[in-house]
Parts: sequence; structure tokens; C-alpha cells
Amino acid sequence: MKKRPTIGIYGFTGCAGCQLALLDCEDELLDIFSALDIKVFYEAMSNNDDNALVDIALVEGSINTNKQTQELKEIREKAKVLVAFGSCSNHGCVQAMALGDGEWEQRFKQVYGDMKFTVAIPREAQPIHKFVKVDAYIPGCPPAKPQMLRALTQLMHGNQPTYTNSPVCLECMFRENECLLYNGKLCLGPLTIGGCTAPCPSHNIPCIGCWGIIDEANHISELKLLKEKGFKAEDIIRRFRIFGGSDIVEKIQKLLEVI
Amino acid sequence: MRALKLAKKDEKKLFSVLEKFGEVWSPMPKGKRFSYEKIEDPEDLVLHEECIRTILPVKKFLMPPDFNILSFTPQKFTINNEEIPFKIVVSVPACEIHAVNILTKFYTTDYVDNYYMKRREKLIIIGKSGLPDEHCFCHKTNTSIVEEGYDLFFFDLGDYYLVWVGSEIGDDIVRKGSDIFDENLPKDVSQKFVEFRKQKNKSYKNNPDMEGVTDLMELMYDAEFWDEFGDKCLSCGQCTMACPTCTCFNIIDDLELNKELGHRRRYWDSCQFKDYSLVAGQHNFRGSKAERLKLWYTHKLKAFIGHFGSPSCVGCGRCIITCPVDINVPTVVEKLKS
Repeated sequence: MKKRPTIGIYGFTGCAGCQLALLDCEDELLDIFSALDIKVFYEAMSNNDDNALVDIALVEGSINTNKQTQELKEIREKAKVLVAFGSCSNHGCVQAMALGDGEWEQRFKQVYGDMKFTVAIPREAQPIHKFVKVDAYIPGCPPAKPQMLRALTQLMHGNQPTYTNSPVCLECMFRENECLLYNGKLCLGPLTIGGCTAPCPSHNIPCIGCWGIIDEANHISELKLLKEKGFKAEDIIRRFRIFGGSDIVEKIQKLLEVI
Repeated sequence: MRALKLAKKDEKKLFSVLEKFGEVWSPMPKGKRFSYEKIEDPEDLVLHEECIRTILPVKKFLMPPDFNILSFTPQKFTINNEEIPFKIVVSVPACEIHAVNILTKFYTTDYVDNYYMKRREKLIIIGKSGLPDEHCFCHKTNTSIVEEGYDLFFFDLGDYYLVWVGSEIGDDIVRKGSDIFDENLPKDVSQKFVEFRKQKNKSYKNNPDMEGVTDLMELMYDAEFWDEFGDKCLSCGQCTMACPTCTCFNIIDDLELNKELGHRRRYWDSCQFKDYSLVAGQHNFRGSKAERLKLWYTHKLKAFIGHFGSPSCVGCGRCIITCPVDINVPTVVEKLKS
């Protein structure tokens, strides 16, 4: 039998839902387990081998403490290919919505007061590429099954995961939905990485951008459009921020100029 | 070409005739819009008075948004030979039938696209001439009348429909429904037909000035307004999905996780996406949104003429009610003319 690629699935700060999404691939679980030699997967198994060298490391979650930074660097050293798995590790996700606004320490103090931290020193949530080289990205909050399995298969064969660099609107149109943005809803579909198969707009719920911002997202045009439709600029920018993570920080300044 | 009459009182019996030929698909309400859906209930077959502009055009039957074209192992490949059922699509406006004819030309000139043709041969088109709404501009693109590409075509002439037979299958349908289709046309039929056409021509409310647009596309290629459109464009790609004559697709291979088996997927792509024109070495022929918009409008209003003899915009108005930021054929034409 051909040697199975080894894999470690690691979780940092987040809801652990991406790992759960992997376990939710019920019909394919036996295939996943027999195709890959899983060395680390704390959410799903005991007897994890923390020291194992792995062919593929799937890293979920954002980095929120100095201890996590160290652990992430150790994973990097042990892994041939390191993959950012899910929105938290890709962009920072919800916990990074106010990244770089300079008020993190103040907010932290409001919640934790003068508590002393001994095991790990907390820091502002950051995506993993701020600390280590990331070889591939699987976006999603959580990643969708077809795209996640495709990416895993490609990684197993030693290839880069491919995903179309297209917004949510592509699959939204595949499902023949009315355009919510055209109909005056605050939908972030055109700004958001697709691949989710557009479940929210298909149920008449506008896209909230949970997969992160697409390369060419035209925030300025969408902001102008939504203002014309009667939304308040600060509310729109707040919505952009929720899942925009570190990627939105540099765009915010330009958006403020438009207001 | 034969013409017959269908009395409106017999309209509801049409379904039982059509279902003998395959699945019946008709425009069904979807939010404020319509979508071609498979129907089981004869009551759902409605020949609307107005032209019905579905969210996705008839092309969704002919080149599905996402499908497997073949499966492969390291040794061999097997073409996906799934049985395509006959589908009868009802209430198709003239402009859309023009669009299907354009797609067929495109997919059969030089090389025949078998995936397309397999579906085209199984698609029965029942056209219907309706009255234009505020967005229709097929009278400006010469696509308000259609002479080929349909199997049956209905005109609403008051208490009956005038039915043109456009194919052998169309002829089979009227023979099968000989109890409702009547060969004896009323004496005033030509007069009523002319009146209908006059009425229809008077009803257009959207009148973009399309004269000379092909030449202006060339002359205005470097005009500044393209950059203004580029700044506005969201690159959502909805225009290309909704356009009945857009043909572009991408092909990728998906491998199965634990077997030596792969599937080749073909799905709609859009020239408005950045990766569409991305080539090896990270070079991009059309890196800016303005360049990509120019490509699309050149294709719709100019380039297609050189290859196929007519522009590829059929005036259906989908771009108008799809683009959230108001970039569409009439607004581009207005800029070309200003």
C-alpha cells in the first residue's frame, strides 16, 4: 500500500467550527481517514503525536497570545506544507474586526481589568500569515464541504489548492437568486470570496462577508451605492469590518475619505 | 410554415399535450422576478401577456452553470453520457430565441460543442410574443421578430392565439393536440396580426439610440467614461451570468479523495473576474475593471458582427435589472453617444 501522507489538524483561537465542518463530512469520513495518516487532531481523537513531522498542517484559528505564536512557529517547522484553514487563520475573522484601531488595550482592560496572565500573554487577534509563511489558504467560516475536500485532495497529491477568485455572486447566480443588493439590501456578496455556494442569499439573507474579502473588492463603489439606497455610512463600514479582519484595515482610510 | 389557432378557452389543455413530449418548464415567480421551473400542474402553464424576463435565460438548459463533462482514471476517460430528457420550455420571448440561435452559431461554427448540441437537440422551444415592459429594447437590436429557432410560437390575438409551427417537432405537437389546435384561421387574422404588431411597436418605453454604436465602440475605445464605469463596477459578474448570449466557461479537474478517479467539471466563468484573463507568470491581459468592461461591450456591440454577422446583444434588458451599479447596454450606449 502506498504510504499515506501525514497530516496534523491544529486549532488556535476561534469557535473550532472549521474542524467540526471537516468532521461533518460524514459520507467521506472513512475516505479521509484511510487516505491520510492523521497525527494530530485534538478535536476528534486521543493519542495525538505532538512531535510528529507532518506532510500537511491544517491550522485553524487566529493567534491571540505569545504562547500561540510560539506553538505556530513550531508547527511551521514540523510541517512540509502549512495551510491556513478557515477565516480566523486566513484573515483574523470576527475577533480581528477592530484590528489596528489602537484601542485594543483599552478594550482588553475593560473586560479583564488588572488580571495578571501567567501562562500566556494575550495580544490583539491576528491571522497566521503575520507570523509564519503560509503555503496555501482554505477560506470559509467554516469552509464548505466541496471546496474543502477538493483542497484536501489537491494537497494530498502535492498540488496547490485551487479556488476560483470569484465573489459569492457567481454561485448566487448559479442558484438563480434575485440580486439582494439590486433590491436594496445590504448584501456584501460582490466583496466576498465565493465558494460557499451562496446559502444565505438563497434563503433571502444578505451576505455578511464571512469568507473574507476578495482580491479586487470595490468597497468604495459598494459604499456609495448603499449610501444612495439610504444606509448610513458608519453602519456600512461597521458591516464591512465584521469579517474583514486584517484585510479591511488598509481599505478603511480610503472609505473614510468617501464619506 | 404552418399557422394554426388555439382558442383561449383551450389554453389549459395545452399542458396535457406538451407533457407527452417531455418535461414542461415554464416561467414561475421567484421574488419579484421569474425563473424557468419544471411544472407538474397544468394551472402553472401561463402564457403571460407581457414578455417574461427570467433571472437566468434559456441558456441555463443548454449549458448548465456547473456540470461534469467526463470522468477519468490513470488509464482512460469516460464521457459523461447521462441521459438528457426532452425539455419543453414555454413562454420564451422572441429576443431569447434570437439568443439561442446566436449560441448555436457560436457553438457550432468551426468546432461543434457536443455538450451544447446534445442539449439543444433535446430542447423544445415554445415561443410567445408578449408586450414589452419598461426595460425591453429588442426593437432597437432587430430581435423583436423571430423566424427560426422555435418549435411553436404564440401570438395573443384577443380571444385566441395564432400559433406558428417552426419545426417537425412543432408539427408533431399540433398533430398530437389536434383537438385544440385548429387549422381554420379566422378571416380577420391578418388584420389582427398587423394590429398586434403595431400595438407592440408602440409599447416600447425604452429607446436607446443604437444607430452607429458599432462604429462608436471603435472610435470611443479610449474615452474617459470607461474608467468611470471601471471605478463603479463591482466585478460581481452577474451581467455575464444573466446575459443570454454569454458563453464563457472554465474547466477544472476534481479528484476523488481515496480513489484513482477524477471528474472534469465545466462551469460558467465571467470575463469580469480578474482571474479570467490571468495567464502563466501572473501576467494579466486585462488587469483593470475598465478594460474588462470594454471587452464585454466590444463583444456585445461590435466584435460579434465580424465573426457571425450580427451584434450579440438581443435587447432583453437583463443587464438593466441585474447590475446593481447601473452599468448596462443602454447606459453604455448613452455614453458612447454623448
